[in-house]
Amino acid sequence: MAETLKRVLSPGRAAGPREDTAAEVGPPLLLLGGPGSGKTALLFAAALEAAGEGRGPVLFLTRRPLQSLPRRTPAALDPLRLQKIRFQYPPSTQDLLQLLCSAHEARGPAPFLLLLDGLEEYLAEDTEPQEAAHLAALLLDTAAHFSHQVGPGRGCGLIVALQTQEEGDSGDALQLSLLQRYFPAQCWLQPVAPGSGQRCFRAFLEPGGRGPRAEWSVAFQPDGEMTIAPWPPQAGDLSSNEASGSGGQP
Amino acid sequence: MAGASPAATLPAVAEELLSEMAAAVRESARVPDEHLLLLKFVFGSSALQALDLVDRQSVTLISSPSGRHVYQVLGSSGKTYTCLASCHYCSCPAFAFSVLRKSDSLLCKHLLAVYLSQVMGNCQQLSVSDKQLTDMLLMKKQEA
Repeated sequence: MAETLKRVLSPGRAAGPREDTAAEVGPPLLLLGGPGSGKTALLFAAALEAAGEGRGPVLFLTRRPLQSLPRRTPAALDPLRLQKIRFQYPPSTQDLLQLLCSAHEARGPAPFLLLLDGLEEYLAEDTEPQEAAHLAALLLDTAAHFSHQVGPGRGCGLIVALQTQEEGDSGDALQLSLLQRYFPAQCWLQPVAPGSGQRCFRAFLEPGGRGPRAEWSVAFQPDGEMTIAPWPPQAGDLSSNEASGSGGQP
Repeated sequence: MAGASPAATLPAVAEELLSEMAAAVRESARVPDEHLLLLKFVFGSSALQALDLVDRQSVTLISSPSGRHVYQVLGSSGKTYTCLASCHYCSCPAFAFSVLRKSDSLLCKHLLAVYLSQVMGNCQQLSVSDKQLTDMLLMKKQEA
């Protein structure tokens, strides 16, 4: 499962025998889905995964502290890993801009993964395209600066979660296509028919030119645990009890 | 070239052209005429304006002790615009309009001037403090 999750969240890294330690980070990734589709959980799982790799700190930016830590397996909530995740909570768009623009002023080791949850909260509907582009470009520039600091052959990854509306209106579509210019890789989370008390989503990864598209199913058990399996889900993959859950059509 | 090539996010044709130009400049310290023609073909009217900006030494690479850097281009109107080094962003109105909204152009002339001056190796260089670089990146709108 961990390998699958890594692949979901590190597009561009080939899942071949050559699992290099100087990992290719892949292009910046935009994680998209409606409310409650598991973006925060996946982002946090990526943070834990990366923190476990021991290459350095992870920077997690979000407007509000996470209400509850999304759960995976108990092993993943290793306190040593949590310590490596630096959380910052810029309250406003201006604060976020200030944080990104002054990232080079901070002392200490550079993060090798930069995560932002809730980009939509920093982009109001009436945000000018130039302002949205400025924010997206600064996210990329900050990650590029961290990459430079982390050293040659490595780099700093960037994953940003953006909530989309169920029925997109034209304003959203313009902003989204603008963001896609800056984020070549995208992962879409779409709800699928739920079964037996769990919420189930289809994660569709568009790696942005490097490697094939891929799909996974992501399921949240009633107790909050998240499981990931390749799509299409086989019977028994998604549910921890006897029922086969959502239709596992082959 | 400082850091990763920003041209990596351009369409393949544009990217190839810029790297061929870089190779030609390395070999013979000049840009062949065929490349100039291709430049016009790929980038349209921005190409001549960008070349003019480069000739007039209008592009400055600004860096701070942290190693982070940004570009500023002195436009033909006398205004200075800020361009990011790592991805396509320029503070000029043409970028906001033609590139972002209308998707007419790949790049504004300032961004193209930045890439050309990287290829040709003739930027001005300026060092500023970390705090000054923060302000430049913020690109706060100046009072006209």
